[in-house]
Amino acid sequence: MRGHCENPLHNEFRWPGANLSRNPFGELTRQERISLACVEVDKIIEHLRTSESFERTSRFHRLRAYQLIGECGRGKSSHLFGLMKAIPSACYVYLPEDGPCPTIPEAEVLLIDEAQRLPRHIRKTIFAAGIPLVIATHRDLTRPLRRAGYHVQSETIGLTLSPEFLALLLNRRIEASRRDAAAPVPSLSTEKSRELIGQFGTNVREIERHLYDLVQAEVNSHGEMRLND
Amino acid sequence: MAKCDLTIELDEPERIYRGGEKVSGRVYVSVDANVRCKALEVQSGWRTHGKGNVAKKTIETVTLFDGDWTAGDNLSYRFELTVSEWPPSYHGNFVNVDHYIDARVKIPWAFDPKAAKEFIVRPLELPDLAKTDEQKASEILTNSLGIIVGAFALVAVVLILGAFVANPIAGFFGLVVFSPVALFLGGKFLLPRWLLGNVETELLTHQLTPGESILARLSFEPRRRVTVNAITAKLSGSEVCVSGSGSNRTTHRNEFYDETRVLENATVLEAGVGKTFELEFPVPGDAPYSFDLPDNDLKWSIDLHVDIPRWPDWKRSLSFQVVPGQTSQSSGDPVSQSPSVEAESTSDMGLTFEEAAGHLSQSLEDDSQREVLVEAVVGITFEIEAVVERRLLYSGPDDPHVYEDGYAVWAHHTAPRLPLVLYIPHQLGDEFEQSGSSGRRFRGTVLGWDDQNDRLQIKVLVE
Repeated sequence: MRGHCENPLHNEFRWPGANLSRNPFGELTRQERISLACVEVDKIIEHLRTSESFERTSRFHRLRAYQLIGECGRGKSSHLFGLMKAIPSACYVYLPEDGPCPTIPEAEVLLIDEAQRLPRHIRKTIFAAGIPLVIATHRDLTRPLRRAGYHVQSETIGLTLSPEFLALLLNRRIEASRRDAAAPVPSLSTEKSRELIGQFGTNVREIERHLYDLVQAEVNSHGEMRLND
Repeated sequence: MAKCDLTIELDEPERIYRGGEKVSGRVYVSVDANVRCKALEVQSGWRTHGKGNVAKKTIETVTLFDGDWTAGDNLSYRFELTVSEWPPSYHGNFVNVDHYIDARVKIPWAFDPKAAKEFIVRPLELPDLAKTDEQKASEILTNSLGIIVGAFALVAVVLILGAFVANPIAGFFGLVVFSPVALFLGGKFLLPRWLLGNVETELLTHQLTPGESILARLSFEPRRRVTVNAITAKLSGSEVCVSGSGSNRTTHRNEFYDETRVLENATVLEAGVGKTFELEFPVPGDAPYSFDLPDNDLKWSIDLHVDIPRWPDWKRSLSFQVVPGQTSQSSGDPVSQSPSVEAESTSDMGLTFEEAAGHLSQSLEDDSQREVLVEAVVGITFEIEAVVERRLLYSGPDDPHVYEDGYAVWAHHTAPRLPLVLYIPHQLGDEFEQSGSSGRRFRGTVLGWDDQNDRLQIKVLVE
């Protein structure tokens, strides 16, 4: 916009006009990310769960670890959020790039995001506790886990992304931003998802950023979201 | 499927509210199945949405009902809640601020049905938004950058020369490391000064209302004869937001307004002949107000630029604030002046932990208010009852509170609920571990606030 200001009072009607409460591809709170997480976590739980489920104090094996390896934007954190939904007693810890290592609590299952940033001496303390772990990491931590006695299973995240699954993910976000349940909102077609995968590969974060700008421009210019044009 | 549906209707949905006013309306509940409602809560507040991380604040919460609802019931409950004084409603491309009435039914062992309704807030006045120390420091830093860069260059040269004398290999290594930094800093800060001399800038108005003019001054006396392509000043309004954290942290900037004025076209400036430009830029009458929320800002600035051909350009940005019409002279952030803060800022020694926890639990989403409250209770010893949640495997390198051989645990105060970190001496470890879900009474001193986990830090004392 050049030379004049948009009146924020007029812009207020932009999203209601498109039957949305906000741009569906904007940043979400952690709670919203947990509720919208759309990932398959059964095999992770299967790896951690004991056979005599409810007879022990814990339902999960000590010294079991599941490792999610992958690049940024491929869904490692989403898997951890999916686990938080499936195991409410699990505890999620995010390790920031800069700044001190945060507090790490004991939990029935401990979920560590960006685990490659664990300083060696803290990593040793955490692994020595032997509690069930699910870690998201850019670097393979199998060796230190095995040295601590863990039975480790690893999965590389984001090698493939089907157009159907991407459409499901993105349409969930649109649905979460829908204003009036009785009025329609457009959804993303599988065809458009295929196109997006062709353009951005499996990087869902980049796809969401692209769609944010696209939807913003569409709603600004003609008051509605046209995703499949 | 939810056992009931909620809808909110405001009495005056089209009204533009002012800070501190009351917003009223009704919450309608349509019950599909018999349900035990633990609480029907309604709250006023604001939150951001868009490209940046979500910032939010709750202003007032009331419980309208608790009890049983029967299938087929269609009920309505009246509410009246206080409107936040700040920030204003704003709808941009990267940053949006909306004020809401949120309603939520707490149902045991089921998803809580929710509803939200926006309303517009446009403050008429704002308590003093005078520059904070931080802003002043940043301006001083900007104006002193040349001196800092010069000092850095001098230190670097001395270090490299010293290293060459002591060990030529180390000196060469130092040269390789420092050269790109020195080239960048020299190019950006020192070279324009070498031609233009010391460039003075002054913002004569730091705050103004929409429609008023911003006044600034630019003056310098070139050290050498210099050709310039142009000297320009740009008035700009931008949304600046941050998404993600750590390595995923990204800053997004959207310039929604710009107006550039040419102060001097292509010309030759003579050495020793001073130039002064008095700037007067009218800010648009519908300019949105400046705001500075966590990870979501709206900024106004004047960007000055001397374009020097085949030479690094000189640039400086001067920030100012666009504020609502009537600025009062009362000091402090309006948001941090809620009655609860005033009541608590005196360290009342008769205060119980229940009372302190009550105020703190209401300010969990408001950093500034919580900081004031925590500061007021730090060092005070209370009788506390808390339920231990879990032991900590690691309590952080910057946590000096842990007793030697002691433990740290997460716990909570039950009514009102307030998350705690307890630092427990070794000899009490077993007692706390075995206290279970019934809670345990102890004497503890408040140490501070754990920002990362949003918990009050308490040192447990041995009786």
